[in-house]
Amino acid sequence: MFFFTLRRILSSILVLLASSLLVFALAVASFDPIAAFRTRQPPPPPEFFQNLRDQYSLDDPFFVRYWSWLSGVVTGDFGESNFGTPVGPELMQRLGVTARMVVAAMVLAVLLAILVGVLTAVRQYKPEDYFFTFLTYVLIALPTFWFAALLKEFVAIQFNDLVGERILYTLGEESPGIALYGGTAEIFWDRVGHLILPTISLAALSYAAWSRYQRATMLDVLGSDYMRLARAKGLPYRRALLRHGLRNALIPLTTVVALGVGAIMGGAVITEQVFVWHGMGEYLLASIRSSDLNPVLGWMIVAAFFVIGFNLIADLLYAVLDPRIRLN
Amino acid sequence: MSTTEQRDLKAPAGPSDKPQVVEREFTIKARSQRQQIARRFLHSKQAMGGLIVLALLVLAGWVGPLFYRFGFNEFDPLNRSVGPGVGGHPLGTEGLGRDLLAQLMRGVQRSTLTILIAVSISLFLGVAVGLLAGYYGGWVDNLLMRLVDLILTLPALVVLIVVASNFPQARTAVGIAVIIGVFGWLDLSRILRSQILGLREREFVEAAHALGASDRRIMFKHLIPNTLGSIIVWATLAGATTILLEASLTYLGFGVQNDISLGKLVSDGVSAAQTRPWLFYYPGIMLLIIALCINLIGDGIRDAFDPSNKKVRA
Repeated sequence: MFFFTLRRILSSILVLLASSLLVFALAVASFDPIAAFRTRQPPPPPEFFQNLRDQYSLDDPFFVRYWSWLSGVVTGDFGESNFGTPVGPELMQRLGVTARMVVAAMVLAVLLAILVGVLTAVRQYKPEDYFFTFLTYVLIALPTFWFAALLKEFVAIQFNDLVGERILYTLGEESPGIALYGGTAEIFWDRVGHLILPTISLAALSYAAWSRYQRATMLDVLGSDYMRLARAKGLPYRRALLRHGLRNALIPLTTVVALGVGAIMGGAVITEQVFVWHGMGEYLLASIRSSDLNPVLGWMIVAAFFVIGFNLIADLLYAVLDPRIRLN
Repeated sequence: MSTTEQRDLKAPAGPSDKPQVVEREFTIKARSQRQQIARRFLHSKQAMGGLIVLALLVLAGWVGPLFYRFGFNEFDPLNRSVGPGVGGHPLGTEGLGRDLLAQLMRGVQRSTLTILIAVSISLFLGVAVGLLAGYYGGWVDNLLMRLVDLILTLPALVVLIVVASNFPQARTAVGIAVIIGVFGWLDLSRILRSQILGLREREFVEAAHALGASDRRIMFKHLIPNTLGSIIVWATLAGATTILLEASLTYLGFGVQNDISLGKLVSDGVSAAQTRPWLFYYPGIMLLIIALCINLIGDGIRDAFDPSNKKVRA
């Protein structure tokens, strides 16, 4: 297991390195930080352009630029944005905001997917199965932003009216300025209120896909010989289902969830836009619009880090759960 | 059914001029594999329902404008932002007085185009890469699949945004279709590769080799037809992914701009959700129904190609 782990960690680092090269090539080919000055009338003097080119070291060879960027990133220096502010601290602060939504959505999606997947498998072709299957199909076919807007514009208001108190918030990640005066509990509940709707809309799509997957796995397990054996040797149905069935049916989901991290981070860009969160997604979109190279690079390398990291964790977890993998 | 029983059911044997009428409880008909698949598909209620609804919607999108009195780009200055039914506009109008139903029909037209272009490009690239990687193996396989792995470490939506930001002139239904198509083949190539890997070792491929068949002949006569099921299923489901991606890109401001598409109508409707809900609901529900139908058809085809499917006697 030790060598298996070591090998996986090393190969993940290699993949991350290769990915950083891809990210750098893609971003450098796409964004020209001095583009905004090119179309300006009257045009700025040529020396100004040369100064900027020197400042961003645009004339250096590709691999020299890549190396200087990469060595910065490894030491936690993500460079500066076009406005001269350092990218690293801003990215980390925004990562904290986005992480709330992403983590909550993943937990919610996984829990719901397991619950519904198992339920629909056990009650296959019964009304519950048909109901949830239909719901899943609808969720998969919905554009995320439209569903989010539906929650924001209609559900939130109705719900708040019904309760007679403002519980669900539709804008921002917290009430502006609450951190200045609120107590810990007050800030916490305020953030929870802001978190609920974005979490639901972000979790919906992943939940839908994962619950179908969980249903299929659970059906496989229910038809297996060891389940028949467990029942034949006299185990009560519930115990056989939970101890023998569910435990095995959960293993394949780890891989699927790990692969879904990228999709959730992409989805968070949309959800942040709908609910006006000041997170990583907002930063990414604003930077792309202003051709700001370093923030985009930072966003993508952080995303790649999490995607590769989660895949590593899933690999290791899989090996722990299923001994056939690591003994192979 | 045993042979004795079968004999019993036949008309009593005896000397007769007339041709013997054989009566059985049921008839057995030989069906080719294709007929079996078609039969399973035709018997699936969800898939057929999806197909019929989708066909009607697409037909309405392409034929409807010929009979409808408002053009999609026709302004009605007297009826700006009116609700459904006002001024002869069955679904109302948007802020410039353009008829929503006419725009939806145009959106369906443009979006079918988007789907066809994007899926064709992805199909071509995905089949080519999957086939090469799976058939030749070795360094070709390694190189191509590592490249696919690498691109998959980045969120697909963000890659599309970055690429689309380079082509501000391509903000039409066709331009976005090309961008989505060029990056949409990754999962297809993986699916196809793994299938080809398995098929390559089978006896019929070996036999074809032994008979002197060229690589190209083996690929196109033996391998591709055997993976056709997964390719068709993938292509169908990719249609739904394409319009949803197009909608998301458009909403974020990197998709369709100077054109009409379903995604564009849905995105525009979001900002009007409170004040003019018809602009929010109708395009959104339209997109939902289309994507839903496509997914139902895709799942129906998948079940139809699955030989272990016993729901319909083949």
